[in-house]
Amino acid sequence: MTFLAPIFLYIGMAVAAGAVALHFIVTRQPTSSPLPTVRFIPVSSVRVTTVAPVPEDLWVLLIRVLAALLIGAAFARPVLVPERRPVARVVLADVSRGVAQIEEVRDSSRRLLADGDALIAFDSAPREITNFADSLATLRKSGAEAKLSPALIAALRTASELRAAVDSIELVIVSPLRASALDGATHAVRALWPGRVRLVHVAASADTLAPQVGITVRAADNDGVAIAAKVAGIAASDAAVRLLRDTPTAADSSWAAAGRRALVRWPVAGAPPGWRARATVDTAGAVIAGDAALVYPLERRWEPDSAASPLRVVARWVDGEPAAVERAVGAGCVRDVAIPVPTRGDLVLRPSLGLLLRALGAPCESTTGSSAMAPADMLSLSGTGPLAASDAIEPPDTVTTPLVPWLLGAALFLALLEPLVRRGSPPLWDEDLSEEPVDQRGAA
Amino acid sequence: MAIATFAPVLDAVRGIAWPALRRVRSSIPGPHVSVVRGSTDEFVEYRPYRQGDDPKKIDWKLVGRTDRVYIRVSQERAILPTMILLDATASMAFPTATHAKWDLARRIGIALAAVARHRGDPVGMTIVHPERARTFEPRTRRTVLEEMMRAVEIAAGGSLPLAPATVDAMRRSARVVLISDFLGDADALLSAGRTFAAAGNELHAVHIVDEGELEPDPRKLLLADPEQPETRRPMSPPARAIYLRRFGAWREQLARDWRGAGASYVLAVTGQEPLRRTIRRITNPETGARRSSG
Repeated sequence: MTFLAPIFLYIGMAVAAGAVALHFIVTRQPTSSPLPTVRFIPVSSVRVTTVAPVPEDLWVLLIRVLAALLIGAAFARPVLVPERRPVARVVLADVSRGVAQIEEVRDSSRRLLADGDALIAFDSAPREITNFADSLATLRKSGAEAKLSPALIAALRTASELRAAVDSIELVIVSPLRASALDGATHAVRALWPGRVRLVHVAASADTLAPQVGITVRAADNDGVAIAAKVAGIAASDAAVRLLRDTPTAADSSWAAAGRRALVRWPVAGAPPGWRARATVDTAGAVIAGDAALVYPLERRWEPDSAASPLRVVARWVDGEPAAVERAVGAGCVRDVAIPVPTRGDLVLRPSLGLLLRALGAPCESTTGSSAMAPADMLSLSGTGPLAASDAIEPPDTVTTPLVPWLLGAALFLALLEPLVRRGSPPLWDEDLSEEPVDQRGAA
Repeated sequence: MAIATFAPVLDAVRGIAWPALRRVRSSIPGPHVSVVRGSTDEFVEYRPYRQGDDPKKIDWKLVGRTDRVYIRVSQERAILPTMILLDATASMAFPTATHAKWDLARRIGIALAAVARHRGDPVGMTIVHPERARTFEPRTRRTVLEEMMRAVEIAAGGSLPLAPATVDAMRRSARVVLISDFLGDADALLSAGRTFAAAGNELHAVHIVDEGELEPDPRKLLLADPEQPETRRPMSPPARAIYLRRFGAWREQLARDWRGAGASYVLAVTGQEPLRRTIRRITNPETGARRSSG
């Protein structure tokens, strides 16, 4: 057993010691001595504080000591520590659409897992699989894309719960390990894991192929976005991504729905379809899309219509408000961008606008494929050195302490019992002297 | 062994006389001046001869010198039966370790009995004790002292009013000595004594007080009445001051009351003076007081 807040246990022990000491100090009526002329002494009551050689009222003392210790132990939050094992495993099993065969993931996970280990299935969000001996067979491949950052966070949380029972914890990632699984936070989260990570490769699904990045821009020749696309080197003809600066037509929508194509509607002026004017026009200092960030004061005039169908946000203003949204249409998607590009200034020449265009011109999310993770990323993900020591893992924020209610209940029971026991004990002193017979002659 | 215990007492009172404070009424010859004028050798005065006088009392030499017939009048002396009343109740058993009050009381009682008997007075004693009470009729028998010594070899204790025994003792004699701490039925005693003294009898009140009652041990915080154990009082420093004032005032009032009743009052404190001086103060109040103060 260990205590999460042992200071309270020490306080309880100090209180119990104080109770023992106080039971040696008793206030009682002193022993009376004979004096024939006592009638001449004025009437009053007396108590004397003295030190008893033996503690008074041992049963009451025992109850008080136990109650103090129980309350101290309850506040100290005892936790039963199970028998420690050398190593436990936390297995992150990728069940995203990027996995070719889910059976491979199941088999790989089954070989790694033992009693006391933890299994976390993840795609875009992690979920811990309890009773994996039975649940492993029910793992299903999902249609979402794999994201490692939330899975690693879940692994850290699970490791916090396992750390008390093991000496070391091994993190195993069973995944196709595509580049799309990484995001800007993955390396930072990985750095929180204080040990090496084992990477178990499984086959990737066939459609996770890296598409070509290119945008066909339909705009005036002097349009700033068209110029920026040319400067960034992503302007292409007949690309899978069509960017319209003018009014889109039905044919444009049909074109996007017919295949894995993205139609980007980015009007020069006016609100994009499905957007409405903001109540207050303001200025945002930056807009972010994926890894691209454009830092430039831009007017913010429109906002998405909340009545519209659920949208995926592909770009956000610096305060988090959507700046561009995507809607699936047929096999493709339509992307509406509400980022005004000023006609003056050097914005169109900045590389950051080109990066923003790349991000806004990315293939639709549903058809997004991914290349394999770069070797450097894999090396960074796996790391070197020993397994993560349990002491190096942060303890959980909340620890269940099932003993606390029992301890408090026992202390409450003793507190209720104490007055009953005290009442049944012999009095420490005799009757009070305050009511005395009237004095006789001479003592007036 | 009683004689051995009280031998120092008898030695201490050797030679002490205990004259009556007033003329005695007894007709039995004794050491005290009687109210009756008689024909003893103790010449008092001449009185003219009256018809009926004993001719043997005529002083013929005076007749020869004066040509007048006078008879010699002499002083009669009589005995004065004495009863000594000893308070042997629990309040006299103080301090508990030594019972010094009871010891002083019985030594005074035996000493006075010895003085009285030595002068030829019948002496008796009443011991007031709930269980070991004894009464000795006034006698001049040689063994009466020994009997009294044996009778007082008891421990004081219990509670019993003194007035009934006192009244009984007053019926048996013309001189009564009350030896007590007067912490019991003092009013009843005083009333009986007043009546006794008003009848021309001799009454002595010997007030026994222990040093521990005059100056209680300050370390003892809670004190109880030995005759009434339920009566307990704490002796804090302020309470001590009040106690000393009250107790002193009570002793003074007691002395005034007994003297006002016609008795002699003597305060005897344990361990303060030799027994002989105490006996002198009792038996000769005026000279005893001078010697004590001197």
